[in-house]
Amino acid sequence: MANIVRVNPGLGEEVQRFGADDVAKCYHCGNCSATCPMSKEPFLIPRKSMRYLQMGADERLRGNLEPWLCYYCGECSDQCPRGAEPGETMMSLRRWLTAQYDFTGISRLFYRSAAVEVGAVVVLGLLTGIGFYLAGTYLGGGDLNIYDGPRAFLPAYGKGGSFFSFGGVHTFDWAMGVLLAGLLGINCLRMWYFTMFNDQAPKVGIGAYISKLWVLPWHFISQRRYSECDKKTPWLVHLIMMLSYLTMLILIMFFLHSVHYGPEIVWQAHAFGYLATVGLLFGTVYAMYGRANKVNTYHKHSHASDWLFPVLIFYCAVTGIAQHIAHRTGFPALANVIYIIHMMGVVPMLVLEVPFGKWSHLAYRPLAIYFAEVQSPALLAQARARQSAPATARAA
Amino acid sequence: MSELKIGVYVCNCGTNIAKTVDCDAVVQAVQALPGVAVAKSYKYMCSNPGQEMIDKDIKELGLNRVVVAACSPRMHEPTFRKALDSAGLNPYYLEMANIREQNSWVHEDGAACTQKAIDLARAAVRRVALHEPLEKRSVPMCTSVLVLGGGVTGLTAALELADANQSVFLVERDDHLGGNVARIDLTAPHLDSARDLLRDRIARVTTHPKIKVLLGSELVGLSGYIGNFKPLVRVGGQEQELEVGAVVVCTGYQEFDAKKVKNLGYGSLPDVVTSFDLERMLRAGRIATRAGKAPRYVSLIHCVGSRSEEHHPYCSRVCCMTALKYAHEIKSMLPDAYVSDLYIDMHAFGKGCEDFYKSGAELHTMFLMYRKNQPPQVRLADPKDGFGMLIALQEQLSGESIEIPADLVVLMVGMEPRADAAEVAHLVNISRDKDGWFIESHPKLDPVATTTDGIFIAGACQAPKDIPDSVAQARAASARILAKIAQGKIWVDAVYAEIDEERCCGCRMCGEVCPYSAIEYNPATRRSTVVSVLCKACGTCAATCPAGAIKARHFSDRQIFAQIAGLLEGQGGGLTKGAK
Ligand SMILES: Cc1cc2nc3c(=O)[nH]c(=O)nc-3n(C[C@H](O)[C@H](O)[C@H](O)COP(=O)(O)OP(=O)(O)OC[C@H]3O[C@@H](n4cnc5c(N)ncnc54)[C@H](O)[C@@H]3O)c2cc1C
Ligand code: SF4
Ligand code: SF4
Ligand code: SF4
Ligand code: SF4
Ligand code: SF4
Repeated sequence: MANIVRVNPGLGEEVQRFGADDVAKCYHCGNCSATCPMSKEPFLIPRKSMRYLQMGADERLRGNLEPWLCYYCGECSDQCPRGAEPGETMMSLRRWLTAQYDFTGISRLFYRSAAVEVGAVVVLGLLTGIGFYLAGTYLGGGDLNIYDGPRAFLPAYGKGGSFFSFGGVHTFDWAMGVLLAGLLGINCLRMWYFTMFNDQAPKVGIGAYISKLWVLPWHFISQRRYSECDKKTPWLVHLIMMLSYLTMLILIMFFLHSVHYGPEIVWQAHAFGYLATVGLLFGTVYAMYGRANKVNTYHKHSHASDWLFPVLIFYCAVTGIAQHIAHRTGFPALANVIYIIHMMGVVPMLVLEVPFGKWSHLAYRPLAIYFAEVQSPALLAQARARQSAPATARAA
Repeated sequence: MSELKIGVYVCNCGTNIAKTVDCDAVVQAVQALPGVAVAKSYKYMCSNPGQEMIDKDIKELGLNRVVVAACSPRMHEPTFRKALDSAGLNPYYLEMANIREQNSWVHEDGAACTQKAIDLARAAVRRVALHEPLEKRSVPMCTSVLVLGGGVTGLTAALELADANQSVFLVERDDHLGGNVARIDLTAPHLDSARDLLRDRIARVTTHPKIKVLLGSELVGLSGYIGNFKPLVRVGGQEQELEVGAVVVCTGYQEFDAKKVKNLGYGSLPDVVTSFDLERMLRAGRIATRAGKAPRYVSLIHCVGSRSEEHHPYCSRVCCMTALKYAHEIKSMLPDAYVSDLYIDMHAFGKGCEDFYKSGAELHTMFLMYRKNQPPQVRLADPKDGFGMLIALQEQLSGESIEIPADLVVLMVGMEPRADAAEVAHLVNISRDKDGWFIESHPKLDPVATTTDGIFIAGACQAPKDIPDSVAQARAASARILAKIAQGKIWVDAVYAEIDEERCCGCRMCGEVCPYSAIEYNPATRRSTVVSVLCKACGTCAATCPAGAIKARHFSDRQIFAQIAGLLEGQGGGLTKGAK
C-alpha cells in the first residue's frame, strides 16, 4: 500500500510563485480531463496534478510525469467551469518540476523572481562581452579588423586550424556544450530517480527500458505526441523552432568551418543556416505576437520566463544575421563587434536556459514520454488489479 | 323517492385507462342496468368539457345520481362533487369507481380488465342508488393563534399574524426569544449579522399590542379542534387555559451531540470544538485554542452526526454553507490561517450558495473529500511537529490516505429533533417521521399543514432548514390561518361517524380506537359522542362498536352491501371469479 501522504500546507503558495494562481478554484468536476486529448489511461491529465497541488502532496507531485505529457493546448482551461486554468497550472508545474530536478537551486531562484533571472542574463551577457573582448585582444589575433582565418580577432579554431585543434571559439563551444550537457544530465538523472523510484511507481525491468528506447529519438525529432493535440498549428510552429534550433546547433558544433569562413558562401551549409534562421525568427515572432495579444488560451498568462525565452532567441537570430551581413559585405571590424554582441545573448541563453530554464524541457519532455511508456503497462496492470479487488480491501 | 336517473361517465384518462379497458364496452354494459339513464365515455372527464358534460346532463336529462368511473377518488372526488353542486345536485349523490389505480394500471389482460371495470362500475351504480343528500356544516372560529416556539420561525409567524390584526400568544420555553439563530454570528451565504436579523423582529414582537409573549412557558395540554382549541400553558408554575383557533408549532431543532462520534476527539481533545462553540468565539471576536493562541491550521469537518449509518441518515442542510461561512470569517480574522474543509459532498443548492462555494475556494480553502461512513480521525500531533493535531482521512478525489495538520478542529454538528419532540407531537396530535421530525400533510403540495386540522408546523421542527426556508414556512402557515380566519367559520365535512345514544352501551371501545381522538365520553350520561369536526370518517369506530351503535354517514351498511352485491352480480371474469 502506498504511504500516507502528510500534506505540505505551504505548497500551494510555493507553486503560486511559479505561476499557478487559480488552482484553488478547482472543484474536481473532471471536465478538463474529459476534454484533454492527452489524458489516457493510466494517466489522468490534468486533474490528478491539480489535486496533488491543491492538497500539498509535494512528494507525489515531484514523482509525477503528467505535467510533461501536457502541451498546453488550452482546451481544458476553455472548458473549466470554475476558471481554475488547469492548462496554466500544468505549465506552472513544469516550471516547478524543472526547479525540483535542478540540483543547483538556480532554477528555483530564476522562476521565483524575474528580476534575478533577467539580472543574471544581463550580468552574464556583460561578462561574456568583456571576456570575448579580452580573449580576442590577448589570446586571439588582437586585430579587430580581421574577422576570419587563423589571424582573426577571435579565431574559430586553435593553432592547428583544424576541427581538433585546441584553442579558439570552437573549443569554447565544445567546452560549454559538455558542461551544459553535464549539468542537464545530472538533472535528468534526478528526474529519473524522482519519477521512477517513488512509492507509487511500479517496478520495471531493464527489458522495458530497452524495448521502449526508440521512443526517445522519435519523439525528440518528430514531437509526435504534440501533434496529437486537436490544434495542429502550435505543434507545427514548435517543430519548426525545434528543428531550426537543432540545425543551428549541428552547424556550429560540427560545420563551423563551412559557415564561419568567408568571403565565399558554402551553399550546402548556408542553405541550412538560412532556413534555420528564418524558422527561428518566424517561431519567436509568432510566440511574442501571441503573448502580447493573448491570441490563444495558452497565451493568456505569461510568466517572465515565457517572455525571456523567445526574446533571447530573437535577439540571437537578429544579431546573428547582422554579423553575417557585416562579414560578407566586407566590414570585418563591425562583424567582430556584432559577433561579440551576438555572443552576449547566446552564452546567457544557453548557460542559463538549457540546464536551469525553459530550454531544459527539450530533454525533459522526451524523457517523460519515454518513462511514461516504460511505466504504462505496469501502471495499467496495477489499476486493473485495484478495480477487481473488493471495495473493503481498497478502502483499507 | 322520485324515479332514479343515474348518469354513468367512463373516463379514458387519455390512454391511461383506455389502453387496457374497452371503455365503450363498459358504457354498453352499464347502460342496461336498472336506473341508469345515460352512460357515456369521454377522453378526460376531469377536464372542463368533461365536467360540463355532467352539468348539462343533470340539467337536461334531470339526472339525480352520478357515477364517474375514472381515477382514485382521492384524486378527483372533490372535482366531480363540485360539478354536481354547481348543477344544483347534492354533491354526495356522486360515486366514483376507481378503474385506473386499481385496474388499468395494475393489470395487463385487456378482456379481464374490461370485465373488472364493468363490475366496479356496476357496484358503484348499485351503491349510488342508496346515497343520501348530506349537508356540510360550519362552526364558529376563534381568531386567536398560538405560536409555539420563539425562534426566527415563531417570531415571523407571530408578526405576520399580528400585523393582520389577529391576537397571538407566543409561547417560548427559554427566558429569551431568538432560538438557535440567537447563538450564531454571521449568516450564510450573504454574511449579514444574525444579531441584526433578530434584533428588529424581537423588538417588534415584544412591543406589538396584538402579541402576548409568554417567556419561560410551556404547553402542557391541548383540547378542542380547529377553530376552537383550548391550550393549557404553564407560565411560571401556574397553568393557564387559552382559547385559540389554530396553532403553529415552531419548536425548531437541537444540535447533535458530537461526543457520540468516535475518533473525532470531541470531549477528549481540548481543541476539537463544535460549530456552536466556534459561533461563540466569532461573536466574541476572537478565535483561539484552549491555550489562548490564534490557530494557524483550522479544520472544518462536515456531516458530524448527519448522513451516517450510525447516527442520522439525513442531511442537515445548513452545515455545508455554514462551514463555508466559517472559512470566510476565519480568513478575515486570521488571514494567514490555513483552513481545510473536510466534506462528503458539498451541498450548495440554495440561492447564492454556488457562488459562495466558489468564493470559498478563491480564499484558498483546502477542500478535502472523505467517504460517507468513513469519518476522519483526529489525534494529537507530536510536540515537534509544530501544530496541535493531525487529521487522517481517505481523500476521495485523489484516492490517497492523507494527514493534515490542525490547531483547531471544528465539527459541523447536524440538527436533530428536540429531545421533547415526541411529547410535543403527542400534545398537539401530529405525527413524526422515522427520524423524529414532525410530518406535514403533503410533502409537496401541503408542506405546513398537518393531519390535524388547525395545527400547522413551520421551520426546523419539520426538518433541517435554513433561515430563509424557515421564514417562508412561517409566512405560509400564517397565510393558511389567515385564509381560514377570512372565511369566518370552519367548514366541517358532511361525512363523519354518528353514535346512536340509544344503542351505545358506554363501553368506550370506540374512543380507544379512534386515531384522531374524535370521540368524547360523557360520564354523566355514560355515553360516547363523536366530535364531528375532528372525525375523519375512517370508520374504525363503526367496525369496532360491539353494540352496532355507530353509523358512518355516507358509508352505511346498506350502501356497502349494495356495492358488494353489485360486484358479485357479474357473470364470470373480473373480480367475481375469485369471489365465487
Ligand atoms: C451552527 C449552525 C449555524 C447556522 N447558520 C445558519 C446560517 O448562517 N444561515 C441560515 O440560514 N441558517 C443557519 N442555521 C440554521 C438556523 O439555525 C435555523 O434555520 C433556524 O434556527 C431555524 O429556526 P426555528 O425558529 O425553526 O428553530 P429554533 O431556532 O430552534 O427555535 C426554536 C425555538 O422554540 C423554542 N422551543 C422549542 N421547544 C419548545 C417547547 N416545547 N415549548 C416552548 N418553546 C419551545 C426554543 O427554545 C427556541 O427558542 C445554522 C444552524 C447551525 C446548527
Ligand atoms: S480544473 Fe476546472 S475543469 Fe478541471 S476538474 Fe477542476 S474545476 Fe473541473
Ligand atoms: S492544456 Fe491541453 S494537453 Fe494540457 S492538460 Fe489541458 S487539455 Fe491536456
Ligand atoms: S378524471 Fe381521473 S381518470 Fe379521468 S382524466 Fe382525470 S385524472 Fe384521469
Ligand atoms: S449540509 Fe453538508 S455538512 Fe451538513 S449534513 Fe448535509 S452534507 Fe453534511
Ligand atoms: S370514523 Fe374514524 S375518525 Fe371518525 S370517530 Fe370513528 S374512528 Fe374516529
